[in-house]
Amino acid sequence: MIASNRGVVVSCLLLVVFAALPFVNIGLEISTITEVFLIGIAAMSVNLLVGYTGINAFGNAAFFGLGAYGALLSIKYFHTDFVLSIVAGVALAFLGGVVLGPFLLRRRGIYFSLLTIALGQVFYFIAYRFTDVTGGEDGMTVIRPLVGFLNYKVDDHAFYYVSLAALALALGTFWIVVRSPFGKTLQAIRQNELRVRYLGLNTDRFIFVALIVSATLAGLGGTLFGLLLSNVSPLLLDWHQSGDFVLMTVIGGAGTIWGPMIGALIFVIGKDVLSSVTPLWQIYIGALFIACVLGFPKGILGSIFAAFEARRVVPPAPSSAAQAVVVEPHG
Amino acid sequence: MEQIAPQLFNGLILGAFYAIVAIGLSLIMNLTGTINMAHGAFLTLAGYLAFTLVSHGTSFWVALILAPLMTVAVGILVERTMIRPLYGRLPIYGLLLTFGLSLIAEEVFHLTWGANGVPFQPPAILAGTVPLGFMQFPAYRLFIAFVLIIAISALVYFLRRTKFGLQLRAAVQDSEMIAALGTNTQVLYMVNFGLGIFLAGVAGVLAAGMLGLNPTTGNALLLPAFVAVIIGGMGSLLGSIVGGLLIGVVFSMVTLYFPAFNEVSIYILMALVLMIRPRGLFGEEGLFG
Repeated sequence: MIASNRGVVVSCLLLVVFAALPFVNIGLEISTITEVFLIGIAAMSVNLLVGYTGINAFGNAAFFGLGAYGALLSIKYFHTDFVLSIVAGVALAFLGGVVLGPFLLRRRGIYFSLLTIALGQVFYFIAYRFTDVTGGEDGMTVIRPLVGFLNYKVDDHAFYYVSLAALALALGTFWIVVRSPFGKTLQAIRQNELRVRYLGLNTDRFIFVALIVSATLAGLGGTLFGLLLSNVSPLLLDWHQSGDFVLMTVIGGAGTIWGPMIGALIFVIGKDVLSSVTPLWQIYIGALFIACVLGFPKGILGSIFAAFEARRVVPPAPSSAAQAVVVEPHG
Repeated sequence: MEQIAPQLFNGLILGAFYAIVAIGLSLIMNLTGTINMAHGAFLTLAGYLAFTLVSHGTSFWVALILAPLMTVAVGILVERTMIRPLYGRLPIYGLLLTFGLSLIAEEVFHLTWGANGVPFQPPAILAGTVPLGFMQFPAYRLFIAFVLIIAISALVYFLRRTKFGLQLRAAVQDSEMIAALGTNTQVLYMVNFGLGIFLAGVAGVLAAGMLGLNPTTGNALLLPAFVAVIIGGMGSLLGSIVGGLLIGVVFSMVTLYFPAFNEVSIYILMALVLMIRPRGLFGEEGLFG
């Protein structure tokens, strides 16, 4: 791994650059960049599970959508202000993680993936069918509330900085978690869960906490995403959305802190550009899935780190962060 | 009260569809550890191919066999070129790849056959209803039940009574060992994948006449099939069958009384099973984590 201090410096520099972005014209709508941040936070939440803990989560859209629905429902029914609706959204996603966690923990491997897909879909159907409460297929549209105690209207410009703060928070959380003994244990679970168990650690408990952190992060992204668009629809909860998040993680590099954000950037901008030039964009996105999996499994950052790793001196110890994840064949 | 019997039958037939999709998924999952998100797309493809064959004058009966076989050819091509390199890697890669395939397939269906679905009529001989003593039942649905039962029985016979089936089951247990003993496991993987796709294909042709044929026909069956696998228990074909039938019946019954809850109900059932028996109804402990 690249020296962690250098990583922090680069990360801080990037955040400063982002803070300056709205003052420079880079040819992108400010709301598009905001979208990248928020989708990226959700992709980071997948990365914690897939890249660091090595469990095959394929249902994080459920938490993303719960966040968005939590915020908009609280605005619609309780007329919460901007800050409170964020709290409501994140809390709902957190609760979703707490409730789903015990079910998900029952299984590992592909069975875990199946469970995440199936359980995640419950919320999709709830949002889709309980039209009276959730608006059904059309979803809900609200007016973005003011910040109550300041009576301040959050325009797109201010929203950009709110999202940037959320991104910094997510990165910080990630950075701390990954370096803490807790995070090291997660990475050990990725390499060999059985061995960690033999060391006397209750791996279920560690994975449960990872799930909750992941759900909350995804919820934070989703909450702000819902507020950004002032609109939600069941599509936010769909397993297609989950698949997109996983792809972003893999494109950017699973097991690297910035990887998912790079993936989100490529995905969001790519989808924007493609859908404006061709009606067949879904085919290209599908092809991107296949190309990444077959040709580029380590992702962009993963490959770069691996190249660095290869240039360093012997012994060629496997890098913990940027290694292509390979498991024993089944059977 | 008189609605219950027909609805129960409809539920069983819907459940049989779930079951046959679930069996195909299980076969592929058990042997290679790949969750085939494109399974629904293969099902839809078979439906569309049958539609095209029939509209060019092929008889329904020929199409019922030919369309699944054509789909198998596509499936094996995909397996050999794209899925095979992923064996032994984390399942997330197989998921992503097949997910991408299903995105492409859906768009291709749109382009080729239109977005709104096409009419697919079962042959005239199956158009009427059959008296069952206590009710009239559509002949085509009885025929579907008949074919699905035959297909599942044939599969069970194949797995239990033939040498190839024996090798396949052995490979699920320990594919390295069986390779060391001189079996070409790559052929096993290929045939196994083909089998799963063939079942999906047959289901696709049959479903086209009952559930309608549009680009998402297969995906609508895919998620309940996942639930069927989880309820029935991974690694158990019997479990997939029972799980499929069970959720079909539950879905239909709940639709009758609480229509808003029909989709959610099967997930509640799944949650209950997971609480009481995490390995699923027929799952073996320790198999696939």
